[in-house]
Amino acid sequence: MMKSLCLLLVSVLFMNSLLEAQGRKWKGEGTTLNLESIVIGRCYDYIRLVNPAVGEKNCSEIWEAFKNAFINKDPCSILPKDYELFISLSLHPIPPNKSLFWENNQLLVNSFADRGRRYMSLADTLFGFLGDFLNWCGQANSTGLDYESCPTTEECENNAVESFWRMASITYAQHSSGVIHVLLNGSAVGGAYPQPGFFADYEIPNLQKDKISQIVIWVVDDIEGPDIDSCGTHTVKVLENRLITLGYDVTCTDNYKSVMFLLCLDYPDDSKCTLSSSAPAAQRGPVSSDRGGSWNKLMFVSFVGFLFRFALVY
Amino acid sequence: MPFRQGSARTRQRTVLLVGVAVLLAALLLAVVLASVLTHGKQEVSPKMLQWKDRGTTKNLQEVILGRCYNYVMARYPELGDKDCLKIWESLKHAFIYKNPCNITSEDYQPLMELASHPIPCNKSLFWSKTSDLAHRYTKSNQNFLTLEDTLLGYMADRVSWCGDPSAPGINYESCPKRSECESNPSSVFWKMASKMFAEAACGVVQVMLNGSVEAGAFRSSSIFGSIEIFNLNPNKVSAVHIWLMHDIGGPQTESCSGHSIRRLTSILEQRNFKITCEDNYRPVQLLQCVHNPDHTDCRLCTNTTAAP
Repeated sequence: MMKSLCLLLVSVLFMNSLLEAQGRKWKGEGTTLNLESIVIGRCYDYIRLVNPAVGEKNCSEIWEAFKNAFINKDPCSILPKDYELFISLSLHPIPPNKSLFWENNQLLVNSFADRGRRYMSLADTLFGFLGDFLNWCGQANSTGLDYESCPTTEECENNAVESFWRMASITYAQHSSGVIHVLLNGSAVGGAYPQPGFFADYEIPNLQKDKISQIVIWVVDDIEGPDIDSCGTHTVKVLENRLITLGYDVTCTDNYKSVMFLLCLDYPDDSKCTLSSSAPAAQRGPVSSDRGGSWNKLMFVSFVGFLFRFALVY
Repeated sequence: MPFRQGSARTRQRTVLLVGVAVLLAALLLAVVLASVLTHGKQEVSPKMLQWKDRGTTKNLQEVILGRCYNYVMARYPELGDKDCLKIWESLKHAFIYKNPCNITSEDYQPLMELASHPIPCNKSLFWSKTSDLAHRYTKSNQNFLTLEDTLLGYMADRVSWCGDPSAPGINYESCPKRSECESNPSSVFWKMASKMFAEAACGVVQVMLNGSVEAGAFRSSSIFGSIEIFNLNPNKVSAVHIWLMHDIGGPQTESCSGHSIRRLTSILEQRNFKITCEDNYRPVQLLQCVHNPDHTDCRLCTNTTAAP
């Protein structure tokens, strides 16, 4: 009885995975729904509202160039240079001293850059803004997007999304100038400066030395995270040495305050986040309006006083 | 011979006449061309009404649609049933070809119904005179939602639109300011959306006010003071937490014991809400310190940072 039940369970599971395998070619999520509308909408949003300084861009052309990079091709054969036309159409200058590179802290960088107002991270450029948090891939012998599944980088490196970000990172590094900043996560497993990684493999090699005055490294630990890496140690030391050897003027700061404050939002009571000026929590409390009580009392007393005086006089 | 002399003079005269005729013809052509061109220009320039505020955002349709899909697909997939095309159409029909001083809440009713969605309890964050800070806060801390973090507010944020009775029905040049007419597409939209946002709130609600503005932290003329507080549902909302923020290094014009806060509290208490107030709510103050890390108000107790 048990044996037949077990057999049934195993066969059901097998059938399930077989069916799944038939529907899903790849292990990764499929293309984001309504990708075209989202990308074109983001393009106009960017040029009209987010950063009108970039001027007029042809958003339909940009979408076509983006799509043609990967449509109707083997989804494991997409190369960064397939996005060249897309990049050339969506390229715009990056203000000097505003570039912010990063590893292992995407959401933090998103908040810290403040949509390009404080810094312009890759996701705050037009080409980065268009692809941020989206997923896409095509299929061979079909002009359609694959909404069911897309290859992960483990399955094949030369997939549509990976090549997009490689090309975007290369471009971003090539057009950065002045003081450039890089924010690293000192609590990341495997070290703050990952190798291989986008910064190591696609950004550093494409920095234009003659346009860069200084490289500022910030290593910030998670508030309740371990201090795995810091300036001058382990992988950060490797990074510092590499940049110095390349001839850059490099500085490094641990737990840069501005970024610490941002991390503290989620841990306001942690000892690392206590402000020396803050009043004790007892300040918070119910507020009574006294419904104008003291005013009423004053008016009443004055009125009685007036009446009394009036009575006295007459 | 007299005939030969006569023919020379005639030739001269003919040449002169021809020359004059050519000149006249050229002049006539120039006049005709000029009138045709200017007449053509006049036909192209719209007879639209002119206003003082910026016009409809160009590519409004693409922006709205893209934001709708982005919000539903990328941010809140639970809202997968929203029909973004229908939502865009209902927004368009609310103002297209209409005089932008005659907009009513009925015009927006279909849009409001299509785009509204429930809001989790204890997450509503209202704000007044603290737009930048409130939105930076909700961006970094997804535990709270302002109106601009709901689908309706997200689509409309920083975008402008208005119609006009003449073709093409949308005015891209200018739109009315509130001072020109109250019932303009933008004011009516935000009033309605704010009312609905307040009605949808449940549990504990938060409001971020500015204690550094001269006119006082709470003003009855603001959308918060005139619409939102009166549309909170006492059967759904249990308490209102006020966060009274001062600019870092800015004037402390008002605090929780201030006059306008007491007025706000009395209005809310009359409607049976419990009120608490906190000066410089810590997490938000930490956010302010991101911009002013070296200010004395932002000194951290522990000094473990290495000198830069």
